[in-house]
Amino acid sequence: MNRRVFLLAVSGAAAGCMTEHARRLNVYNWSDYVARDTIPKFEREFGAHIRYATYESAEEMLAKAMTGNSGWDVVFPSNSYVQPMREMDLLAPLDHKRLANLKNLGKRFQSPPWDPELGWSTPYMYGSTGIVYSKQAPQPEGWRDLWVNKYQGRMTMLDDPAEVFAACLKRLGDSVNATAPPELKSAEALAIRQKPLVRAYINAEVRDQLIAGDVLAAQSWSITAQQAIDQSGRLAFVYPAEGFPLYCDTAAILRESRHQELAHEFLNYLLRPEVAAAIAREMRTATANEAARHLLPAKDSENTTLYPTEAILARGEWFEAMPPAAQRLRDRLWTQIKSA
Amino acid sequence: MSRLRVAFLSPAAIVTIALFAIPIGIICAYSLLSRGAYGGVILPWTIESYRRVFDPLYAEILWRSFVLAAISTSLCLILGFPLALYIARSKRRTLLLNLVMLPFWTSFLIRTYAWMFLLRDTGLINTILQSLHLIRQPLPLLFNDGAVVLGLVYGYLPFMVLPLYATLEKLDPALLDAARDLGATPWVATWKIIVPLSRSGMLAGSLLVFIPCLGAYLTPDLLGGGKTVMIGNLVQNQFTTARDWPFGSAVSLLLMALVLIILLRMLSRQSEQLL
Repeated sequence: MNRRVFLLAVSGAAAGCMTEHARRLNVYNWSDYVARDTIPKFEREFGAHIRYATYESAEEMLAKAMTGNSGWDVVFPSNSYVQPMREMDLLAPLDHKRLANLKNLGKRFQSPPWDPELGWSTPYMYGSTGIVYSKQAPQPEGWRDLWVNKYQGRMTMLDDPAEVFAACLKRLGDSVNATAPPELKSAEALAIRQKPLVRAYINAEVRDQLIAGDVLAAQSWSITAQQAIDQSGRLAFVYPAEGFPLYCDTAAILRESRHQELAHEFLNYLLRPEVAAAIAREMRTATANEAARHLLPAKDSENTTLYPTEAILARGEWFEAMPPAAQRLRDRLWTQIKSA
Repeated sequence: MSRLRVAFLSPAAIVTIALFAIPIGIICAYSLLSRGAYGGVILPWTIESYRRVFDPLYAEILWRSFVLAAISTSLCLILGFPLALYIARSKRRTLLLNLVMLPFWTSFLIRTYAWMFLLRDTGLINTILQSLHLIRQPLPLLFNDGAVVLGLVYGYLPFMVLPLYATLEKLDPALLDAARDLGATPWVATWKIIVPLSRSGMLAGSLLVFIPCLGAYLTPDLLGGGKTVMIGNLVQNQFTTARDWPFGSAVSLLLMALVLIILLRMLSRQSEQLL
């Protein structure tokens, strides 16, 4: 190789690296939260390279984002984390001029309570917590049915303090976000009273035992419930009469990101009806994107487990961020429930 | 010569400092700071986390963890000793030792899920027992302390067998011949010769089982159905749902200190016996 060709090749390679560097995006998402072709299609269309990794808990993402030097551009905080992340100055403001597809969001998500102007986050997928039950057992109507003997030893609750407190608090007629010690202590007493009937505190792993018929009723996320119902016609889901918690995962851009433009393009891409529909179809989740919902087959878009009617949604309550003192009390009480 | 020694020792020293001393230093510092509202730590310095550790609720959890770990360790010893003795005397030692280590080829999480599949109401064990008409109702095998102990014994048995094997394998067979010549039955010879001589292996194995059992959090969650809290779960919760890193650090340091005290006492007692 003569010297001139070599220099040419080196500068070409360098230029190549630089353009690639400029079109690079780091996306950190919950596991099982994009369709198989979501990322490759974006890479092809925008000539970008995406570094994609997943997390299992919001705390994992938050701990990294809080370093301010995490290396991620786009993350997916749950609605109750949007406000705290804003307060800690971790999120970049969204430029609506670059997010033309925001119009596709459902009305409820155009101005959600946690971010009314959508200035920091775009709603992605949402869900709720209710009761999945076997149709061979008596049908539960509300949380109160999880305190009676008919499911003794064949009923499970979620292994998550926020969820168990939510069920107890709703039974008592309080908010799922209660922070006052007397309310939380009554909820704790209720949970301890329920414990002898509880087979286990268990999350998504309960699915197999529901399908096998070991468990007759379970406090469950609507998404987990739907996955179980898909596999067993004997199961059904109910939104508890007393009310229930709602959550929504959102897409947001970190302030530390040096790829704001591409990150906006990515968020706008996720808001495309066909992209959001493909994700919702493959992952069996409920999309906040109304235009996408219309693209889904009727059996999905009219599925009341994933997409409860407005009348049911009116009973739902969004999870909010807990102030530290309440968080600490809840953990102390939760440890007491578990030790009882 | 001495430069060579430095050259060979420094990698190990650097690894020890970087991966052991520095992290422990960070945990110490965290345990003395205040909690951030959403995780992490902030100033000012405080000993509040340590004050909260001394709460009867946490003492009870610590005690329960000790009991479960002690039961699991004893069962490992009872099961592991005959097995190690058998392997040490077998002609197919390599094969048997590999079989003992075989479970390590699969992730502990997956093996724990497999136990859930075996133990549940419609699991393999209950299905077989029911089809043999030995039981009518499925036995409650999963989601109780028994299942936790089973999971711990299953998970850590190899850590008992391997050091025991290492001790028993070195045992001079002539000692047993001598015992027999002096009229000892095989039982007496085992009890009076083999057991005392394998004490160091038993001690090493017991520590290797007891310490991870004490800190276990996956097994109580999955096989215990999250109905009991072990100290490992308490620490884990502080770094996840409770978002209280200083308290989590204080609890884990306390646990480490307790383990260290036990370790030192056992070692000093052993050296007394050797003298």
